[in-house]
Amino acid sequence: MKKSILVLVITVLLLSACGGGGSETSSGGGGSVDADGNVTLDFWYALGGDSGKAIEELVNQFNASHPNIKVVGTYQGNYTTAMAKVYSAITGNTLPNVAQLGAAPLLGSSGAVLPVKDFLATDSSFDLEKIHPAFLQYNTAAGELWSLPFNNSVPILLYNKDLFVAAGLDPEDPPEDIDELLEYAKALTIKDNNGIVTQYGLNTKDDTHWYLSTLFLENGAQIVSEDESEMLYNSPEAVAMLQTWSDWVNVDQVMPRNQHAEAQSDFLAGKLGMLMGSTSGVSGIQKDAAFRVGSAMFPMVNGVRKVPVGGGSLVLFKNENEQIRNASWEFVKFMISEQSSIYLTSKTGYIPIYKDALNWPEIESIIEDNPLRLAAINSLPYAVAIPVFSALGNSDLALQNAIEKVELGSADPQTALDEAKTSVDHAIKTQFSTPSP
Amino acid sequence: MSSLTMADAALKRKRVARKRLVNGAQNGVWFLVVCALAFAVMLPFIWMIVTSLKSPTEVFAYPPTWIPKEFQWSNYVEMWNEAPFGRYFMNSAIVAICVTVGQLTSCVLAAFAFARMEFKGKNVMFMIFLSTTMISSQVTLVPTYLIMRTLNWIDSYQALIVPFLANAFGVFMLRQSFRTIPKELEEAAKLDGCSRFRFLWQILIPLSKPILASQALFAFMGNWNSYQWPLIITNQDSMRTLQIGLRYFVSGEGSTQWGIYMAAALVVTLPVIVVYFLVQKTFVESMASTGLKDI
Repeated sequence: MKKSILVLVITVLLLSACGGGGSETSSGGGGSVDADGNVTLDFWYALGGDSGKAIEELVNQFNASHPNIKVVGTYQGNYTTAMAKVYSAITGNTLPNVAQLGAAPLLGSSGAVLPVKDFLATDSSFDLEKIHPAFLQYNTAAGELWSLPFNNSVPILLYNKDLFVAAGLDPEDPPEDIDELLEYAKALTIKDNNGIVTQYGLNTKDDTHWYLSTLFLENGAQIVSEDESEMLYNSPEAVAMLQTWSDWVNVDQVMPRNQHAEAQSDFLAGKLGMLMGSTSGVSGIQKDAAFRVGSAMFPMVNGVRKVPVGGGSLVLFKNENEQIRNASWEFVKFMISEQSSIYLTSKTGYIPIYKDALNWPEIESIIEDNPLRLAAINSLPYAVAIPVFSALGNSDLALQNAIEKVELGSADPQTALDEAKTSVDHAIKTQFSTPSP
Repeated sequence: MSSLTMADAALKRKRVARKRLVNGAQNGVWFLVVCALAFAVMLPFIWMIVTSLKSPTEVFAYPPTWIPKEFQWSNYVEMWNEAPFGRYFMNSAIVAICVTVGQLTSCVLAAFAFARMEFKGKNVMFMIFLSTTMISSQVTLVPTYLIMRTLNWIDSYQALIVPFLANAFGVFMLRQSFRTIPKELEEAAKLDGCSRFRFLWQILIPLSKPILASQALFAFMGNWNSYQWPLIITNQDSMRTLQIGLRYFVSGEGSTQWGIYMAAALVVTLPVIVVYFLVQKTFVESMASTGLKDI
């Protein structure tokens, strides 16, 4: 979930402020080579549950097929804690060789990460062109590709087929755009005799900024200026979308007020018709739901579909030993290979990262086995990336605040977005204007 | 005369009976109130146990069920197999026990010095000591980490134990308790040829059992539950503690397997409950006495 970036910002500030020696870049690093030239690599990852198991399995596959390299994978908590660990490891010079992290390209400015081009220059066996450009953009900061896409997701619409039937809607015909979405949501909202809503039509998970950003992009609004110095989401296109959001809550009353943290459990309890969530959560929801779950691509705005990608990436850390560096690259190449991408797609809710993945028979058979995955994987051609800039965490938080204010009625959409823009612009100027050491 | 006494006695009996009745009613009401409060405290535990036996779909069933339709004992098996919990248990136990013993030792000695010995700058030192309780642990996280790195202790038991061997709050609590024990007792002991250390060991400590028990409980519980420090300071699975193991069940982006998660939470909580029962009697005594004694 992209909200974890929020805490990243705080962590960076805290650690670089307190660390003192924080600017010292790690060059030693983890990993080891024995007398026979066998390399042992440290790999940190940030996914638990089923996704964590899939990562472990990929590590095992790599170890089995590479007798001279042994990767030791360790779970380091979720994106937030794992990032905190990486920053403390930079200060403590105890970095691993490879890490799977959220908001990874922002590590570029720490000076501890190797840019991907260092490896591409000498290795022609890997063709970057095959990867969908949105994922590459998602791993680029300040014009440099700092990390490679591994587990990626897009926003999606999940719905309760049983409630659709009860409301007289066709469970195989989910809403296509936000006008239909409202229509469906109205049909799915049920009030009791006292006018109290007992079942809502629509809600989003608690990373609300992601879904609002999606609407922004689809309506032609921009998030941040080209030079990343200023936020642009107080434009009329963006304000219109927050107004729509506000209407869902305050006028049409199809979405509960400020209740995003409970959205998923409400959905699973059968008290919510449609849920905007991440593709990464689909298999979990399917397992937990006692009803038939349906999935659809994120609704369009005025016939436009754009889904900003989220998820985690792989970074390679600096290391003095060339053998270790090369082994790390081998490992990363394996982890993002077509084969691994198919494996991860089959075991988790993440989507493949390759442009032509929709034509692969393996991907087709994944969809055949589980039709719920269709909408997620079909979203691939519409994937876009929100630029990764240093105040992205602040921006996500500012958008969440704006949504909260509008839902609670303490600000109108224009004011809320003006305030969000001002606060993030201020952060860009005061916190991130000096280039990092 | 005698008839009067008899009437008197009858009246008295009546009064006593009424008083008893009132008392009984009062006690009954109190009993109900206490029961209700106890139930409120137990509710989350009961819910944890119930959830740990549910299937994924039943966890979210609405309305919620209080008795699982089908008991999912397999949640416990799956939980144990998910991560090396045996190792985590051992690590947590080693660390929590060492910290508890170490903290008690250092706190007793420091508190004894502050309460019973005269030396220059004692009060200033004590104030400085006490003021450290106001610094939150997050602030000292990075400096402590750097010290651990310099000592080359990252990924070791030392790093998990040593930073917690001293505890200003514990010193404060014990000092206050030591000061309530009359000076005359020490003088009498001294007259009989008792050394300072023996006085501490054979008189002061036995008299302070309740406060020591509560201090031990705080130390054990605090350490058993700590998450951030063990996560930051350990990198290998073999050095990890239970609280980190618990996080394996919380999937970052997918949905959490609550049944298995709650099974794990129960297993992790059990030792703390056991320790609590072990020291409960002395602990409650100390709760009662700290509030009453004038210090």
